[in-house]
Amino acid sequence: MRLESLINLDRRIVYLLIAIGTLLPVLMPIGFRVTTTAPVEAMFEKIESLGPEDVVMISFDYGPTTAPENTPMAEAALRHCFARHVKVVVLALFPIGGITMAGEVLATVAPEFPDLVYGRDYVLLGYKDGAQAAMKQMGVGIANVFPRDNAGTPLEELPLMQKVQTYADVDLVITYATNIIGDYWANLVNAQFGVPVAIGCTAVSAPKFYAFYDSRQIIGLLGGLKGASEYEHLIVSHYPELRPAYSQAGIYNAMRGMDAQTVDHAIIMVFILFGNIVYFLILRRDRRASRRSA
Amino acid sequence: MSPETWYDPTRVGAPLVLLLLFSTVVLLMIRLSRQGRGMFIRRIAGIQAMEEAVGRATELGRKVFYLPGAGSVDDIQTIASLAVLRHVATLTARYGVDFFVPNKDPLAFAAARETVQEAYLQAGRPDLFTGEIVQYVTYDQFAYTASVTGMMVRERPAANFLVGAYHAESLLLAETGQTTGAIQIAGTAEVAQLPFFAVVCDYTLMGEELFAAGAFLSREPAMLGSIKGQDYVKAALMAFIVCGVVLEVFGVHWLHDFMTLGNGH
Amino acid sequence: MFWKLRLPLILTFCVGLVPIVTFFLTEKVPGVSFVRDKVEQYMVIIAGFALLLGVVNVTQSNIRKIEKRKPGWPFAVSLLAGLFVMGTMGILSAVRVGPFQGLLTTADGTVTPFYWMTRSFFSPLQAAMFSLLAFYVASAAFRAFRVRNVEASILMIAAFLVMLGRTPLGEYAFGWIRGGELWLPGLTDWIMAVPNTAAQRGIIIGAALGGASMSLRVILGIERSYLGAKH
Repeated sequence: MRLESLINLDRRIVYLLIAIGTLLPVLMPIGFRVTTTAPVEAMFEKIESLGPEDVVMISFDYGPTTAPENTPMAEAALRHCFARHVKVVVLALFPIGGITMAGEVLATVAPEFPDLVYGRDYVLLGYKDGAQAAMKQMGVGIANVFPRDNAGTPLEELPLMQKVQTYADVDLVITYATNIIGDYWANLVNAQFGVPVAIGCTAVSAPKFYAFYDSRQIIGLLGGLKGASEYEHLIVSHYPELRPAYSQAGIYNAMRGMDAQTVDHAIIMVFILFGNIVYFLILRRDRRASRRSA
Repeated sequence: MSPETWYDPTRVGAPLVLLLLFSTVVLLMIRLSRQGRGMFIRRIAGIQAMEEAVGRATELGRKVFYLPGAGSVDDIQTIASLAVLRHVATLTARYGVDFFVPNKDPLAFAAARETVQEAYLQAGRPDLFTGEIVQYVTYDQFAYTASVTGMMVRERPAANFLVGAYHAESLLLAETGQTTGAIQIAGTAEVAQLPFFAVVCDYTLMGEELFAAGAFLSREPAMLGSIKGQDYVKAALMAFIVCGVVLEVFGVHWLHDFMTLGNGH
Repeated sequence: MFWKLRLPLILTFCVGLVPIVTFFLTEKVPGVSFVRDKVEQYMVIIAGFALLLGVVNVTQSNIRKIEKRKPGWPFAVSLLAGLFVMGTMGILSAVRVGPFQGLLTTADGTVTPFYWMTRSFFSPLQAAMFSLLAFYVASAAFRAFRVRNVEASILMIAAFLVMLGRTPLGEYAFGWIRGGELWLPGLTDWIMAVPNTAAQRGIIIGAALGGASMSLRVILGIERSYLGAKH
């Protein structure tokens, strides 16, 4: 086989191997081990420091496109909050599917904690457009932005929202963000109102948010599926009662998703090595040919 | 609690000083430039290649695609993209090559249509402008990407310009363009997308190069002066950073405290 | 000329100054809260009207395509069908008319029509498009990560180490050495936290300054490309 045909390999061969590398670990889970990193542990420790008198605001700033990365981290952090009886206020600022994601995650996690009561322990405020404007206004009054919750109930009728009026009543904001909305929470809400912010983001955005983490604009960072798997590992290690949620057969979670991601990374690395080996063989062949002709 | 003063004391510090410094330097450089002082701006490969890309499309008899990004007109990257769009539209009008500008945002679509129409008029080819050149596709990120990548594969443009604010769709668009053999010039200030463009596209305008592009292309003294002013402010910021590091090493925190905004962490 | 150029420039100057000036003022100044908040709300309203403009353009261009039977015209039919069905459902669901009671589920847990459409069509299609990135990253990496020169080599090595360190493979690589399972993840964290962060900060600062300079030009009317006018 000519070296040139190897270096210009039909990209469909690459796609086929990636597809196989994704499918096989899903059908036959491998169970790679998970080691946690500092940004994830920091967010975990923050929620560990909270209790039944504290309030966490969770903003769903992602849509169905990044659900495979963001939903596992959202479910894990919500389970952590509920396990510690931390009060949770949920909202969505992402226009394309944010409220749908919020509803789905709550519908999945809330039934696992039957002693929690909607309105007293957690509230779904709904979706609001104009992310920055909404964030600024909530500093003045959450009811200015969300006069009613997602079901249409006035906020003054919800026991939790009688106590949570502005950011001053919130102990932590967690945003699951795919794009600039995550920046706004850090640059606007943390910088101007002093509320601690943690971000759960896609892997592609994680390099950007490391700068925010380093400068302490955010107190924790869950970067992509790896970050989500680390958080799941932490809550499963510390809360054995939550293990059944992660050991059900056929249910997707980040730890299972990491099997496929690991295999795909390995395939990509093999292709990179292969491409470079062929490249060097071509260079060596051309150098020898030019020496012979000289 | 009602505020005591008419100004916010937590914000009247470093932000105000930097705002005044920045505005003063930039306005001063604009004034000097208008007075005739030469302003050297280094060559930017991506900008130099624009005419080459349009020329290639003319030779091959294929289209030029211009994607102004995912942002709306309140995003400064979109404004910068419109400045570049004007230049590219002028080139396509001059060369008589087919031009297509699919838009994701409705406000950007309206602005792009005005820009291209005006560019064709200024180039003396208003007859070439049609409503089909600038089109609105859809607001949804991936529906837009699916539509545009489909058009790329079917119409096989010779040149793609991906200039503006991009998010996850950047690699999908750039890689599809690469498979069709188009010459690609990208430009964005989204740091997360720059690696994808840098790896896949032929030329990439990174960060501030995007904002400088429109000014650079116009060669207007005021525009060149503003780029120069911004460079001097950057030099001042670098000096702040070095001073800050040295002071922090010796345990002197006043510069750090001065630069901290309000009650942020 | 006044309506097309001068008035927009005057409006841009006035409206552009508002967020800058009100950033430094408190509510003690009369009108600050009103101006600060209303400008942002007006942006949202204007964007809504502009969306209408976009919908009209999509409808017009696709109807033209169907009328002239241009190549791919059946897809224009499906596009218009999707646009009007989903759009109508969304509006009816938001104002709660008839069976369209909300965007998610009803009080008794029944899935609303809009939510069913979102879950059955929109979400899977979105996820499918996003998942193409995995394939494109692989083909781009295979093509681009070659040791052609010093910079390309550094890029390749860094990418290799980060890919290895961000998965359990990095732990297994040196896991046979005591404490070795943390070497590659630790090195990856260092790459992300130090050189990557430094480079990102440099680009962010540069881009922010470029954006500020551009904003100043727009506010002062020097930059007029967004109006379709020459500078």
